Amino acid sequence: MIEYTPQNIRMWSLLGSCGAFGTAASALPEIDKNILILTADLCYYSGLTRFKETYPDKLINVGIAEQNLIGVAAGLAKEGFNPFVTTYASFASLRCADQVKVNMGYMKLPVKLIGLTSGLSVGILGPTHMCTEDIAVMRSIPNITILSPADCTETVKCVLEAAKINSPVYIRLTGSFNNPAVYKKDYDFHLYSADTIKNGDDITIIATGSMVFNSIKAAQILEKRGLNSTVINMHTLKPLDIEIIKKSCKTKLIVTVEEHSIYGGLGAAVSETLGAINRKPKHLIIGISDEYKHAGEYKYLLEQYGLSPEQIAEKIEKSYKET
Amino acid sequence: MNNLEKYTKVFTETFEIPEEEVQSLKYQDIKAWDSVGHMGLVAKLEEAFDIMMETDDIIDLSSFEKGKEILAKYDVEIK
Repeated sequence: MIEYTPQNIRMWSLLGSCGAFGTAASALPEIDKNILILTADLCYYSGLTRFKETYPDKLINVGIAEQNLIGVAAGLAKEGFNPFVTTYASFASLRCADQVKVNMGYMKLPVKLIGLTSGLSVGILGPTHMCTEDIAVMRSIPNITILSPADCTETVKCVLEAAKINSPVYIRLTGSFNNPAVYKKDYDFHLYSADTIKNGDDITIIATGSMVFNSIKAAQILEKRGLNSTVINMHTLKPLDIEIIKKSCKTKLIVTVEEHSIYGGLGAAVSETLGAINRKPKHLIIGISDEYKHAGEYKYLLEQYGLSPEQIAEKIEKSYKET
Repeated sequence: MNNLEKYTKVFTETFEIPEEEVQSLKYQDIKAWDSVGHMGLVAKLEEAFDIMMETDDIIDLSSFEKGKEILAKYDVEIK
């Protein structure tokens, strides 16, 4: 059983989102005896070493064969199993796009696909392994719930919730080893309802994944400059919490922040919602610009794309002054 | 409880081993000190001594003895 003690929360943060997934995975067979975990040669990297030792019959490593991975998982789902599948987010969303579309989207088979190291965290491996397009791909395929946890504690909660859903789910894991904690103690996690972390009257910052922490820090910088921000954690990207976006229209500026392309991700989803509203504020989309930068360390790449808390605060302040 | 006792207790409780096995213990000597156990150990050390360890120190914490050196950087003397 998972306990949300301060020590466990710190341990998950230290492990990073992949390790936190592995810890949560060990609790899954207690929720559902039909749980299986499949991976494409990323057993250790998915934090599944202990799971493999405890439940050797519940772990299937298909080797480096990601498209086959989805097909095998779909077949097992069809037979009544509850399969969780792990691979790099770039392979899950782009290499396997057809398998995801047909087996998860079209056939609605309840595969739980875990996109490891999404965003820039494996930037040292270059753009082949970085993943800045997965939300766009997954959002365009019907019938898939998309979750994007803000930190490692929320990763654990998302994984446990996903096990209870009898339909396809994609969980986008961002951040790296020693991932900062947004939630330092246990809290109520409500699937499909965004979480307002902080209230402010001037600006609404809607963030997802690793960018929730950076947005909280950016809001603190802005506060010192006299600008008060609401910060919302949009952990469920599909279906989107439309009501909270409507409420955000009371502020003078809406900002979306994501470790994903500025096209097709959270910014696009919020923009599509705002398009149907008559009176709405300006919307600033902060994310990965439309280019592939050279391979580099995670922190370096975040700065290259302007996603550090200071850079986010600068962009927001500039945009607010122009409204 | 002095710092050495506190430090030793963190190891014995984290890895569920007797005190006499702790002194020469190194990373991955036992099943419980794997990557997950390692982060559990760091989290407990941080709480016990009210510190926040740097990433390099977390990686360098390769044995019971090495841990004493690392904690000294945070003004925690293990005696």
